[in-house]
Amino acid sequence: MAVEMTMPILVVDDYKTMIRIIRNLLKQIGFENVDDAADGQEAFEKMQKNNYGLVISDWNMEPMTGYELLQKVRADEGLKSTPFIMVTAESKTENVVAAKKAGVNNYIVKPFNAGTLKSKMSAVLGEF
Amino acid sequence: MPAANVAAQVRTSLATLKASDLQDAQIMEVLKLAHQLTDTMKLFFSSLDQSICQEFNYIADYISRTRDEIAALRPNDIKKQRIPTAGAELEAVVTDTEKATEVIMSAAESVLCDEETDYDIYRANVEAKMMEIIESCSFQDLAGQRVSKVVGSLRHVESRVARFAEVMGVRDADGGPQEETAEEKRNREQLLNGPAIGGPETSQDDIDAMFADAGGDAALDQGSIDSLFD
Repeated sequence: MAVEMTMPILVVDDYKTMIRIIRNLLKQIGFENVDDAADGQEAFEKMQKNNYGLVISDWNMEPMTGYELLQKVRADEGLKSTPFIMVTAESKTENVVAAKKAGVNNYIVKPFNAGTLKSKMSAVLGEF
Repeated sequence: MPAANVAAQVRTSLATLKASDLQDAQIMEVLKLAHQLTDTMKLFFSSLDQSICQEFNYIADYISRTRDEIAALRPNDIKKQRIPTAGAELEAVVTDTEKATEVIMSAAESVLCDEETDYDIYRANVEAKMMEIIESCSFQDLAGQRVSKVVGSLRHVESRVARFAEVMGVRDADGGPQEETAEEKRNREQLLNGPAIGGPETSQDDIDAMFADAGGDAALDQGSIDSLFD
């Protein structure tokens, strides 16, 4: 199935600059319908109200981390199938393994570029 | 009252009793024995006094030396001047970085969104924005200087604490692991390790070595993370 380029994407990060960077990268890739949240809690609340085609989340946030958000999303019957990509500076093996066990669809370490983001999105959503 | 004075007072009392012409021979014998006993204990009490005195002198010297060493630490200077200044410098680094990032990103976004069709105007717009980006990069010089000052303050504190520990013979406390704070507990549970020093960019050999070390805690680069999802 072709990827719908107008699908809403939720970017979750506590740094506005990083949200802005990801927004710009997504725009360059061709996705402009982007929403954002400053932490896992806000993201989860938005996810319950909106139907996002993809969540791109940081790990280290207060009060709810991206890891907690991932676990909550995967435990929620209505949200558990939402594609979820972790974009984080947490690059230890235990982080990657824990995220994969929790059901993350892909994992990007910061810093990253548009090419990496596009390739991971393609791996999760299909070629676009 | 010093022990030697007490002994002298006892001896005086015994002498007074003996001189009071008591008739009972047994009492006189007891008094005589008591007198001999106090004479025998006289040296003991004197040495006891000297020993206690020496101990107190040692403790007083130690307290005095500790006070001098604490003063040499200049704790008020560290607390009121160096640490707050270091904190302010780091906050300034964050602020400077944010400002520079804002200018750079705005310039880049402006170029990306520029729909000018006239080549010369477009080129002038792009050049102007590129100059803004170049100018903003001067934040790196300021940030470097500020961070150097913070590093200097940390080294100052480190050297003074190390000297204090050395002079006072301070050793790290033994015993079991320290109680975990709520923040430490959360960091552990949420696997909040933070960015790896030097970044996750490692050679393939290093990645191979990390994967050979089963259960290792090493940092991964994007390539090795990708392989987990293949």
